Amino acid sequence: MSQLGTKKAEVDLPVRTKYEESRRQKTGVFFKKKVGWLFVIISVIAITIFNFYPMVQAFLLSFQSGMGANLEYVGLDNWRRLFGDPTFIAALTNTTIYLLIQVPLMIILALFFSVLLNDPKLKFKSFFRIAIFLPCVTSLVAYSVVFKYLFGIDGIVNQFLLNFGFISETVNFLADPFWAKVVIILAITWRWTGYNMIFYLAALQNVDKSIYEAARIDGASSFQQFFQITVPMLKPIILFTSITSTIGTLQIFDEIVNITNGGPGNATISISQYIYNLSFEYSPDFGYASTVSYVIVILVVILSIIQFRVAGEKK
Amino acid sequence: MKKFNLMFLAAASMAALAACSSGDEEASGGSGSEGSADVDEITAWAWDPAFNIAALENAKEAYNGDGDYEVNIIENAQDDIIQKLNTGLSSGTTNGMPNIVLIEDYRAQSFLQAYPDAFHPLTDVINAEDFADYKIATTSFEDEQYGLPFDSGVAALYVRTDYLEEAGYSVEDVTDITWQEYIEIGKDVKEATGKNMLTLDPNDLAQVRMMIQTNGSWYVEEDGSTPNIAGNETLEKGFETYKELMDADIAKIVSDWSQFVGAFNSGDVASVPTGNWITPSVKQAADQSGNWAVVPMPRLDMEGAVNASNLGGSSWYVLNVDGKEQAADFLLNTFGSNPELYQTLVEDIGALGTYSPAAEGDAYAVEDEFFGGQQLLSDLSTWTDEIPAVNYGLHTYAIEDILVTGMQDYLNGAELDTVLENVQGQAEAQLK
Repeated sequence: MSQLGTKKAEVDLPVRTKYEESRRQKTGVFFKKKVGWLFVIISVIAITIFNFYPMVQAFLLSFQSGMGANLEYVGLDNWRRLFGDPTFIAALTNTTIYLLIQVPLMIILALFFSVLLNDPKLKFKSFFRIAIFLPCVTSLVAYSVVFKYLFGIDGIVNQFLLNFGFISETVNFLADPFWAKVVIILAITWRWTGYNMIFYLAALQNVDKSIYEAARIDGASSFQQFFQITVPMLKPIILFTSITSTIGTLQIFDEIVNITNGGPGNATISISQYIYNLSFEYSPDFGYASTVSYVIVILVVILSIIQFRVAGEKK
Repeated sequence: MKKFNLMFLAAASMAALAACSSGDEEASGGSGSEGSADVDEITAWAWDPAFNIAALENAKEAYNGDGDYEVNIIENAQDDIIQKLNTGLSSGTTNGMPNIVLIEDYRAQSFLQAYPDAFHPLTDVINAEDFADYKIATTSFEDEQYGLPFDSGVAALYVRTDYLEEAGYSVEDVTDITWQEYIEIGKDVKEATGKNMLTLDPNDLAQVRMMIQTNGSWYVEEDGSTPNIAGNETLEKGFETYKELMDADIAKIVSDWSQFVGAFNSGDVASVPTGNWITPSVKQAADQSGNWAVVPMPRLDMEGAVNASNLGGSSWYVLNVDGKEQAADFLLNTFGSNPELYQTLVEDIGALGTYSPAAEGDAYAVEDEFFGGQQLLSDLSTWTDEIPAVNYGLHTYAIEDILVTGMQDYLNGAELDTVLENVQGQAEAQLK
């Protein structure tokens, strides 16, 4: 754009006075750029102060260690400590398990529901949509507490399983390392499926109906239509939702703290909860805590790159 | 074009950063805590409206000094107080910090060490001799007394007398016993009544904490920071006793506070070994009035262990900010020297302080019908004086989180020595 502008100016040069030329330069491309910058300058400064500056500070902090205000630079000690820290490794493993099981499960469910709800012949469509979306408007803490009571030792799930003879005595779901993880995964899936479904529904509205019509005429089955048309058409949205869900799951905190508080042992602790514990639960070590936070940053970057490579459009 | 963009961005960020850092300087310069400016309002933070906030309100009424200032009481969740103190004190600005704050005893040392100079010493203000010994150990640091001891966390064994009777035991039989005797009684009670003896939460080692304090031991050495796990005989005994409790099948497993309270309110368990602050919750079940008694905590079966322990408890601290003189004056003339205040605390909110002169007051001698006419408060304050003093140190919760995992392994059959050595190694690596 800018090159085109200057070329034009050169061509026009002979018929204009010097004064006009200089004035044109001032009010021209350069001035326009300035005005453009004026528009964004407030957000640039705000983002710099409230995002970039803390990020840089946190990065510097991740090379310091010490209790509370007595921080000193320790070089790479925090990073070395990270790899020998069993609690961190437990937190990382748990978070990875949540990620690997919960995100695909939720994406598939959301896709499934959105296709069902997109059926033009479906009755009470808005009722179902609201019913599935409703979990997203509940507070994280409130629904976590509800899940905790549902799966408590005298909770409704135990009563139900007991009454229908699936189990002979109550199961303490939240005190069992395996079942506690299952409860967490169920909870997040319940909470976030509707949220992702809305994205798919919106995207499905934009898929041209004539494509399906043509497919039907060509004799494609519903399954073929789904895998050959719907999924490829939704690919950018699937990519988007899987990246946001990945980031969300990596940062999972509220559910863990409220349902199991990381227990039993460290069986459900997440990275974010460990960061919280390091900063506020134990004697505060903000340096090491920010090292652990940077692990999340690194993970998000790596996973997003992988997802872009695997599912993204080729440039 | 690109270059211009980048330069502009860089310039903008520089400007922003400069603005930021100059702001910092101003803030730290302005918060000069040296001056003893006259303040006409001080702020106090605590967390429980039925307990410590109510105590502050009472203290405000009872204030008998001659300071002229307003006391502003603010309720914050305990977790919020910890977060605000940590973030505020580590950022170096004291804006928005209170003058008086309540801190749990297990956390006190870590605050005092993490933020030196952030707290105002009360050594010359209060008379440490007036308070229970074990409280002084946890509230002082490097020869300075920082905290004004508040509530007693003296532990006690709440027992159902009717269940005991059914199994052929009297209150005397459970008084001053060891945990092993307790387990035997528990088995008989379970056989006779079908009720469990107590609740246990495998994720919360409060029970072990109380056990080891009966023998004056803790998770850390005297210095407050070296983990004292492997080779700590008291802790080994505590772990073994905990496992015996589990194996004896006399414990109802709970996983949170409401299940814990629910268990004794509904009459599912025959005893509750815990801190005395549980009294109001026990009394909630009014229909069980007269069926309860309170006896000293069982001790570990070891030489030197006593029938007295502690769970929880907190103390008041004065922050080193403008108004600290007023804050110290307020504390001195209320919790620090006013036995009458403690009488009202006991009568109105059931808060048991650790101020020794107060124990002679009439309110402490009241007979509690719910506990069969026992002089509960007077008993509890006698036991308070016997609690072995230990230095809770800096890492109670950090080590306990590691211990919980160790306990799971031990209960699942791992060797105790190996488990504790593992925990020791982990703790040393984590708490450098």
